[in-house]
Amino acid sequence: MALLELQGVKKIYRQGKIEVPALRGIDLKVETGEFTTVFGPSGSGKTTLLNIIGCLDKPSDGRIRFDGQELGAMDQKGLAMIRRHQVGFIFQSYNLIPVLTAYENVEFAVRLINKHDDKELREKVMKILAAVGLEGLENRKPHELSGGQKQRVAIARALVKEPKLVLADEPSANLDSKTSEEVLQVMVKMNRELGTTFIFSTHDPRVMDYARRLIEIRDGLISKDQRRG
Amino acid sequence: MLFLAKLAFKNLFRSKSRTIVSVVAVAFAVMVVVFARGLIEGMIASVSADHIYYHSGHIRIVDAEYQKRERLLTLKYPVDGFAGRGLEEMTAALENLEDIEMVIPRLKFAATVSTGEELVAMSGWGVVPEQELNFTDLEDYLVEGRMVTAGQREVVMGTALLKKINCRVGDKVTILFNTAFDSLRGITFRIVGRVESGLKLLNELIFFLPLDQTQRLLDMEDQVTELLLVTPDKKLIPEVLPKVKALLAEQGEDRYLALSYRETSDLIPLMDLSAAIYNFIYIFLVLLSCVVVVNTMIMIVKERTKEIGMMAALGLEKKDILQLFVIEGAIMGVLGSLCGAVAGHLINSYLAGVGFDYGEALSGISSELIFNTMIYPVSSIHDSIFSFALGVIIVTMACLIPARKAAGLEPSEAMREG
Repeated sequence: MALLELQGVKKIYRQGKIEVPALRGIDLKVETGEFTTVFGPSGSGKTTLLNIIGCLDKPSDGRIRFDGQELGAMDQKGLAMIRRHQVGFIFQSYNLIPVLTAYENVEFAVRLINKHDDKELREKVMKILAAVGLEGLENRKPHELSGGQKQRVAIARALVKEPKLVLADEPSANLDSKTSEEVLQVMVKMNRELGTTFIFSTHDPRVMDYARRLIEIRDGLISKDQRRG
Repeated sequence: MLFLAKLAFKNLFRSKSRTIVSVVAVAFAVMVVVFARGLIEGMIASVSADHIYYHSGHIRIVDAEYQKRERLLTLKYPVDGFAGRGLEEMTAALENLEDIEMVIPRLKFAATVSTGEELVAMSGWGVVPEQELNFTDLEDYLVEGRMVTAGQREVVMGTALLKKINCRVGDKVTILFNTAFDSLRGITFRIVGRVESGLKLLNELIFFLPLDQTQRLLDMEDQVTELLLVTPDKKLIPEVLPKVKALLAEQGEDRYLALSYRETSDLIPLMDLSAAIYNFIYIFLVLLSCVVVVNTMIMIVKERTKEIGMMAALGLEKKDILQLFVIEGAIMGVLGSLCGAVAGHLINSYLAGVGFDYGEALSGISSELIFNTMIYPVSSIHDSIFSFALGVIIVTMACLIPARKAAGLEPSEAMREG
């Protein structure tokens, strides 16, 4: 069974009386452990697709099944629970909480799950911070970290709760090429070691080089779906 | 959720100056509430105490006709015991009632003193000196000399009255008055004491003399114009008053009225009403300070829109986001209210000692109005706790407005807008 299955997903935004279609009917299946890139020009619908997959938005039409669950039937609370337990997000501008340290930013995601005792939680957070190369930097606040380090914190935050799916929206857009390489390698490593499914949206060719599946979106439709060995 | 509270607390330090302005606004409002409550309570306490001391006791017994003509200080309607049998029996019967601590007789009459150029009108109070000193705060106001002694032709006067008649303590003064039989009489008294207080009544209008002398000079042996009853606590008045009325009825005395101190004052019910109205003003005052907090919170929500979207992406529910912002506002409310309550309490503690002198502002009021121009605010923990709770509750409730705005944001829109 596919981790994610979309059938005829449409999304229409309304600006006053004008309807703007962002997705015109997406059919897509993503298996567990895939490392997939969604690319396309600006305004093609990449972010909208990721938002719908990540339960941040609801489609105007179509069906979505996530890990066997029909998302269309879920209320806001149900969608929040999916986001809390099963989906990790990595954002272009990191979106770390500035008053929290690197450790606390990562801890925040696990605290929501509320199934760990303090000792277990600390071990878990420190382990993931070490895995993304932030050992020794856990007490620094975001403004004391470089762009690459911030994105590593965001990756650790997305992965610490061991989600089934990680969605990354232009994760390398604000990084220089060297840092971008390092961050991508961290994600590849996590994908291999933890078997976490990754879906990126990007138009950065360096990200596409790492992907094992490339999905191109144009005008709200999948125009190309290519798997690589 | 403890971690939400922890995050809300840390968020307060993101813009320290904005947080400080909000906290100061709340603190100022709460401080004013504590101060205003203390001042109003001080005024009510002062008005009540002075009215009880110098007008009514806890319960006042007078002739019903005297009550109507009191301003004329008539001597035609005295209290002269049950069926005119004298005060001794009546006083003893009243003292036998449960919760009557003291029965204080007063005999009030109109008098004048000639200065050579003009006649100065005044009011004489024949009193039992020891009882007056025990019951009232007259001793605190005796700034020179002593209280009158029973059996002696002595008077004690206020500073302003002495000035009007160009006399001082130790001098002799001839006082003119009408007896109960309307004959004019002039008697010379020695001035043995001077009182000075914030009460114009004591300063400018009345003089004290021994009751026994007063009764003799007015031809009113065993008669007074009023009897004041004192209970251990004024809260007992509702229980004691019916017993007094029952005693009067039992003795067939329908000419006497027994009135609680509240029934004989126009000012006390007015002050109580003011206190109730002020409670609403306090709420509006704190609401006004909330404008600053709510404005700050609305700015915060606007600035953190993307962060709110991110938190929703992490799985925070709308109620969690609502909680986060309410806690943030509530912390500002608690800090501000705490500072305001403490500052207000300290101010009231200081002013409770030194008081406010309204003397100049109230110089035009009638001397007969028992209103002390020295007001001492009451410093009470109860007021500080009330004001603190009012501040916290109102600020927290006001923060629901921006918090609901934050919680109402759709995650995907929040991510786009930020």
